[in-house]
Amino acid sequence: MSFITAYCHIGEDICTVNGAVFLQKKQDVTDSWFKQLYKELAIEYPKFYKMDMLAQAGFIGSELIKKVSPDLSTRYQDDEIALLFANQQSSADADIRFQDSYLEKKSPSPSLFVYTLPNIVLGEIAIRNKWFGENMFAVFPKFAPEFIIQYGSILLKTGSKAVLAGWLGVLDGKVEVSLFLIGEKGDDGIPFNKENLIKCADLRDQA
Amino acid sequence: MDQLKEELKKHIIEQLNLEDLQVSDIDDNSLLFSADGVGLDSIDALELIVLMEKFYGIQVTNPEEGKEAFLTINTMADYIVKKTK
Repeated sequence: MSFITAYCHIGEDICTVNGAVFLQKKQDVTDSWFKQLYKELAIEYPKFYKMDMLAQAGFIGSELIKKVSPDLSTRYQDDEIALLFANQQSSADADIRFQDSYLEKKSPSPSLFVYTLPNIVLGEIAIRNKWFGENMFAVFPKFAPEFIIQYGSILLKTGSKAVLAGWLGVLDGKVEVSLFLIGEKGDDGIPFNKENLIKCADLRDQA
Repeated sequence: MDQLKEELKKHIIEQLNLEDLQVSDIDDNSLLFSADGVGLDSIDALELIVLMEKFYGIQVTNPEEGKEAFLTINTMADYIVKKTK
């Protein structure tokens, strides 16, 4: 049996980790919501500023999970942690911005172009943590807990010891992000099943 | 010179789509292409070359020259001053 050992949620103006409030969005500052979270995490990783919102969402979510699972990188080999993400919008947020760069500004931006694939976020997380395990990004019409359970279970049966899974809903400034760390037998946590995934995901727009 | 550096930072933020960065976040001596500095990469180097031509009329054709010029905001500003004299 597998377990959800940590989870986090980033909504429009509140971020929770394992159900407890981590940060509420400050309205009186110029920093974006993700930058506020980055600062609160007290990370020094300048590449964060280059990422598109989808990559920032995955990056911040993975850092939040690591915060409550500090032994994550030492407990497993670098190829034992799999990444399993999905969303509804693919990389549309970056695609639209790239389109604007050549249609409106008449200058296609290479720095935007590199984010016009949804699985780039997986690379950003892998590079940051030096995790070289299995990875997958899927696009679905809505949150698909069955997919996470089926694919996650296969990963755990075929060499992965942990799966960092998540739903990265990011488009046009709107944010609905949930990440889960799924571990194998012996880990503390709640059973890895559809009911608990839906509960932990707390995705209001996807119900 | 300070005005040039400020302007340069604004152009970099805009050209490289670093909207989350403020001018004050970039130190004049931070290494632009270091993970401990601003964390730019080879794609951004292309953007900087475009930026130099677009805003300052400077064509960076010598890779070695560009490597030295793009080290920090200070070296970029010095390079612009030298080339536009």
